[in-house]
Amino acid sequence: MKRIWSPQLFVGALLFLAFAVPVSAQVYTVDYFGYGWEQAPGPVKAAGDELIITCTADNIDPAFGVDLGTEEVTLHIHGLISAGPVDMGGYLVVNYTGGFMEIYQDPGMNADWGVNPPNAVSPGTFSDGALFFAGQFTSFTMYFDSSGSTGSFSGNLDGLGGSILGSMCTNCVYTWGGVFTTAGSAQIPLGYDFQIDGVFEIDSAVDTETTSWGSLKSLFK
Amino acid sequence: MKTMFKGLLIVLVLAALPMGAAAQQLFDFTGQALIPGSVGGTLDMYGEIFDPVPATTPIPLDFANYQYTVVVNAVMAATGIVRTYSGGTIAIYEDAGTAADYTNPATLSDGTAILLGTFSSFSQFVPPIGPGSASGTVDWVGGSRLNDIAPEDQAGWAFLSGTNPNSGLLEPGYDEVWDGKVEPTTTIVDTENASMSKVKALFK
Repeated sequence: MKRIWSPQLFVGALLFLAFAVPVSAQVYTVDYFGYGWEQAPGPVKAAGDELIITCTADNIDPAFGVDLGTEEVTLHIHGLISAGPVDMGGYLVVNYTGGFMEIYQDPGMNADWGVNPPNAVSPGTFSDGALFFAGQFTSFTMYFDSSGSTGSFSGNLDGLGGSILGSMCTNCVYTWGGVFTTAGSAQIPLGYDFQIDGVFEIDSAVDTETTSWGSLKSLFK
Repeated sequence: MKTMFKGLLIVLVLAALPMGAAAQQLFDFTGQALIPGSVGGTLDMYGEIFDPVPATTPIPLDFANYQYTVVVNAVMAATGIVRTYSGGTIAIYEDAGTAADYTNPATLSDGTAILLGTFSSFSQFVPPIGPGSASGTVDWVGGSRLNDIAPEDQAGWAFLSGTNPNSGLLEPGYDEVWDGKVEPTTTIVDTENASMSKVKALFK
């Protein structure tokens, strides 16, 4: 039996474990715009109201391999329940619980908001096609400026399914954010409560990369 | 005389009834912003405009052959939860020469200025936690495509953008990622030539 114990091998193994090299942060994005409504009648953002949003992507990271000229990518957000507005002194914050987001890839190119949702085309034409991504919100907040009609939103999700899940990165961070304005703005289809514009980000900043001893040593030269 | 009347009628109807319009129209953009450190400093935002299918752009753009970029400049007038800006300008460029590169802002402000505008109001909501938003009103006043918009439709366009200092999309050297749109208050319609019979059919 030859050399079971080798200090060089032991140190090498330790370094291999200790120096799994973080790769540069990679962010994959889906840029979208759309419109939303609340299921319950009455004041927008009241406690207990369900928020529903339908969007279409107008720009998508080339890494996904989707040609928006021949396929549409649509988003359907539903099940977000308002906890009611909280006055933060000059602006309002509304936290939501629950909520799911599904993104579909569809050669049908049939996305249509129609009017007075839910209707024959919305959310139906935003939830058809192949499931691209499905996620569950772990947090979602809307921030209303002092006018009460415009502001920003952001949320975090856990990935549940879809064709891209696990294909872009491991331990991905999924965030969804953007800007909104309530009804009364330009061109909002009849019956929708607000319009939104934003970005869905898939962040692989926490990923690691396995590397050889030679590559590792070269980092210190 | 009858022929002359018909011709006059066609001209009048064509002027009064331009046809063909998409439901939603917008210039949708994603960009990078440099935020001034104090009042009196200048905000600079450089962005790229995307084809907003299934919506359309307010005026026809050729995304297959050109890149479209947007540049916003404004002077910070007040800071706090609400930042206000004065003297704001916005420009949309069409360029087939150099690809937009945020490490070189000049690549986003070259080409042909197709629309030049001024902000009649412009402010940014910056909550202590979470992302912010910018909103304003744009009046188009110049550019090579200004006349594609009827004079009565050139003022009062809505500018709306998310503003996020913590986005993973933030490019080195910039302060915030902006993602938003500029859109008209009413649908901008093109004119379309139509035969007399087609026009008459509209009244049946």
